[in-house]
Amino acid sequence: MDDAVLDTAEAIESFRIQYLGRKSGAITNLFKQIKDIAADERKAFGQRVNALRSLAEARIADAEANMTSAARQEATDLDLTLPGRRPVSGSLHPLTDTLEEIKRIFAHFGFSVAEGPEIEDDWHNFSALNFPPDHPARDMQDTFFVEAPTEESDGVVLRTHTSPVQIRVMEEQAPPIRVIVPGRVFRNEAISYKSFCLFHQVEGLYVDEGVTFADLKQLLHIFAQALFGADVQMRFRPSFFPFTEPSAEVDIWWPNPELPGGGRWLEILGCGMVDPNVLEGVNIDSEKYTGYAFGMGVERITMLRYDIADIRSFYENDVRFLNQF
Amino acid sequence: MQISLNWLSDYIDLSALTPDAISDMLTMVGLEVDSMETVGPTLDGVVVGHVLERTQHPNADKLSLCQVDLGEGEPVQIVCGAPNVDAGQKVPVATVGTTLMLPDRKTGEPVPVTLKKAKLRGEVSNGMICAEDELGLGDDHDGIMVLDADAPIGQTMEDYLRGQGRTLNDTVYDIAITPNRPDAVSHIGVARDLAALTEQSVRRPDVNLPEAGGAAAERVTVKLVSPEACPRYVALLVRGVTIQESPDWLKDRLTAIGLRPINNVVDVTNYVMYECGQPLHAFDADQIAGDTIIVEQTTAPETFVTLDSQERTLPVGTLMICDAERRVAVAGVMGGENSEVTDVTTNVLIESAYFDPSLIRKTAKALGLQTDASYRFERGIDRDGQVWAAARAADLIAELGGGMRVDGMVDAHPVLPKPLVLTLRLSRIETILGVAISHADTVRLLTAIGFGVEDAAPGTLSVTVPLFRPDVEREIDLIEEVARLYGYDNIPEPKRTPVPNKPPQIAAIEVLRPMVRTRLAGLGFREVCTNSMQRAETAALFAGSDLHSGESVEIVETLNPISQEMAALRPSLLPGVLQVMSYNQNRGQRQLHLMEFGHIMHRADPKRSTLVPGYNEYEALILAMSGTAPGRWNQEARALDVYDVKGAVEWLLELLRIEGRIRFEATPTPGEVTSYRLDLRVKKRHVGVVACVADAVADTFALRDPVYFAELDWAALVELAAPQFDRDAETVSRFPSVERDLAVAVNRDQPVGPMLDVIRQFGRPLIQDVAVFDVYQGERIASDQKSVAFALRFGADRTLKDKEVDKRIRTIVQRLGKEFGATLRG
Repeated sequence: MDDAVLDTAEAIESFRIQYLGRKSGAITNLFKQIKDIAADERKAFGQRVNALRSLAEARIADAEANMTSAARQEATDLDLTLPGRRPVSGSLHPLTDTLEEIKRIFAHFGFSVAEGPEIEDDWHNFSALNFPPDHPARDMQDTFFVEAPTEESDGVVLRTHTSPVQIRVMEEQAPPIRVIVPGRVFRNEAISYKSFCLFHQVEGLYVDEGVTFADLKQLLHIFAQALFGADVQMRFRPSFFPFTEPSAEVDIWWPNPELPGGGRWLEILGCGMVDPNVLEGVNIDSEKYTGYAFGMGVERITMLRYDIADIRSFYENDVRFLNQF
Repeated sequence: MQISLNWLSDYIDLSALTPDAISDMLTMVGLEVDSMETVGPTLDGVVVGHVLERTQHPNADKLSLCQVDLGEGEPVQIVCGAPNVDAGQKVPVATVGTTLMLPDRKTGEPVPVTLKKAKLRGEVSNGMICAEDELGLGDDHDGIMVLDADAPIGQTMEDYLRGQGRTLNDTVYDIAITPNRPDAVSHIGVARDLAALTEQSVRRPDVNLPEAGGAAAERVTVKLVSPEACPRYVALLVRGVTIQESPDWLKDRLTAIGLRPINNVVDVTNYVMYECGQPLHAFDADQIAGDTIIVEQTTAPETFVTLDSQERTLPVGTLMICDAERRVAVAGVMGGENSEVTDVTTNVLIESAYFDPSLIRKTAKALGLQTDASYRFERGIDRDGQVWAAARAADLIAELGGGMRVDGMVDAHPVLPKPLVLTLRLSRIETILGVAISHADTVRLLTAIGFGVEDAAPGTLSVTVPLFRPDVEREIDLIEEVARLYGYDNIPEPKRTPVPNKPPQIAAIEVLRPMVRTRLAGLGFREVCTNSMQRAETAALFAGSDLHSGESVEIVETLNPISQEMAALRPSLLPGVLQVMSYNQNRGQRQLHLMEFGHIMHRADPKRSTLVPGYNEYEALILAMSGTAPGRWNQEARALDVYDVKGAVEWLLELLRIEGRIRFEATPTPGEVTSYRLDLRVKKRHVGVVACVADAVADTFALRDPVYFAELDWAALVELAAPQFDRDAETVSRFPSVERDLAVAVNRDQPVGPMLDVIRQFGRPLIQDVAVFDVYQGERIASDQKSVAFALRFGADRTLKDKEVDKRIRTIVQRLGKEFGATLRG
């Protein structure tokens, strides 16, 4: 029994039949003989036959196990160089990519997200933000009008900035208010590689006790470092927005060895301390509370991040362009 | 606004600063330099020459041979083509090696040309005798420039010109003036900020200020009909003026800042406006009927010809300058053709007035005419700058035109408003800025820009606002002035960030949108971002009933579209996405799975409560597919169909945990933009549509492949889904489920959807899931029948007995038979 070579399924099967076959297996036959054995020897005989059967079964089990592992070691005939069945790949728009990054950064600093309508009334878009009627400040933003002002209403526009949502949030909520407001805005400007009739902004607003311009500088500095790297150079220069005072525009230094000064300042956002008129307009006590606000263009930042030269590529949606993001 | 560095230097000493440093200073004090340009001719290599001898060129009639003394060495020969060149003249000579900007022969554009020693028609020429325009000194090209007879031979042209009082090289800053800086729209205004930063004071030119009355007032009468619209009107007279070209220094100043010189009178009014910010107008005094000026508003629409020869329609209420008989100017915007200064004018009436900013802005807007004057008036000029400016202009006109300033002036309504006095709390500066600025610094900074500062109650200052700062009305305005002069960059950043003791509120949509968007991208959808504005016709087509719950909606148009291509706002994301499909198909991209999140809008009943009454706007999500499910090496490509997009929607609803809440309602007939569609509803509320784009629409967009899409009311879905994400988890049953297949034959027109509903209904409470795994029509079944095979899964929180499952199956088969005539297949 020990000498039998059990290297094929057939050999194992004939071994099994030879020793353990139900009809004429050698060991089976020994079992059949038990009844003929003298009673005093029967027990010892039975034990020996049982041991024999275990031995045979163990050999079969071993042989079968060897067979399987032998099969494992054998090379497959699959052509593994064939390409896989790849799922179709989708992509997120580069503006989404940047916007989500901006949201993530501000989320770390405890900002919630608020949104508002793209068709906006004149009150929220202008008047409540301290743009007096017939003031040159209104010329700063070329506006699409939807409804001309009448006796009853001030008119309706496509929002020129996301700042009206500041008003909507402050109308609903009491300080402390700490939100960012992403959204689409519209400007009636000639379309070119650097301007489009719409773009996306992220507005930020923090109103609380003790909020200062220094806090604003710090937050935006952190933001710029998070987005453009820890060694980003930044400057705040005085500017004007009707709804903030003091107001500033923020530039970052964009190195470019080809330029005479080794680079240039690029404007990335506007900001300032919320004008007391705006706070009072939504019944927030401007003596008790101060606040800062800031706003940036998602397109502009995306163009900087990815070195995209033409703003129109965002709205053309050539899938070969989109596939890179 | 263009600001010349030479001009600024008339009022302050900037010699210690480089032009770049000045540019940075301006930008950092709030006068942003958009661009900076070095202007003026390059005169390197151009010297004064003396023409010793002129002879005819032997080979060319129009050329002369000149022997020119350049002050060193032997005289050189220069060939010259100018008719006016002659022996004895002092002339500018561009020597060999000089680079001049000369007009290109073909284009006429100036290009740099470096002079070489050359032979012209066989004669040697060592350089070039130059005309004015060739040196960039003017427009004259009639002949060479002839210099003063006593010009030193060999002197550089630059030195020569400096000796003539001309400074041609200049740096010009283009400054973006913000609306809160009406005081800075002039050279003196800009100089004031620079003076404050460099601790100097502005040197204003000396002017003889006239007394009100005198001969001028005897001659001219001014009547202000609307004193609130024109609270001050100063008139001065200059007699016996000769209208002529302005002298070089004045032309150089104006040219440097981009103005075209016209004549001495007009140039002076422009010069003074750019000097101090007060717009002036010069009338031909002899054209002013009755020597009377009346300032009044129109009461009916009328037309008027402005001095640019345009006939303009004036709206009611336009403020006009009139004489005894007629209109002579649109106040604050532009003068009239009928009274402008011409070549034969001898007597000039100078108008220097203050007009109401808002009124001028309205007029300029209505006329679509922004002039240098209206730009300044509408921002608010110095309330008390009229007399100085008028006198300054009168002096200059008299000087440059050989005239006489008439004694006195008319000063109509010279009641000045009291200067505003504001209280500034030093503590408030720190509250706003986050840095303490000392009492002394605050006083110094404000005083430097013309504010009057006195100590008031402890810790406060009493600040008198100068009349040229109408924008400063409140304490916060003063704090801004202090901050910008102190320097924003000098305000230190705190070391730590305070955050309110309140968790940020995260709206469900902010969680679900990024999650769904990312998952859809994983499913193969590519996100696009399309224009919200489209043709009105396109918008109207997609406002049809089949995209909007069976009722078409009214589109929103803008009153002032950029073009007809973008006149209306999208009532659906579909047209934008179809455009993208067409664009990409034309570029060889046929496998298109697109998605977009975006606001769509239409008009609404103003009585409905929408955020902005009259407009319904909400965020939608579109999924659109065209092309094929791509083939593989052992799998054939398959055309996409509506089930692909329907499947994606079902997947999405499952992801949002609201699949059971949404009903799909089939409309097999064509609509305006769809061939057939499924409406998604929650109870009665329409939350989306799944459809195939109609052929006619596909043709309009020149689409090559059929498009299947789903447009969903994303805002509504989020509202439904949000509570689902707050649910507790259910324990998974430990007991095995039982799976059974069931095939039935039904009439081939029988929709499967209702059969599924019946199975779910009558499989209750044991049924957990049902799927369709086969739909068959063909030889093995009667020709009017089809076989539908379902896979059912039953389960409960115990081990199911075969008997109870069999009972459910029997009930289901019975109901399918009763409701749809279905028979069980063996």
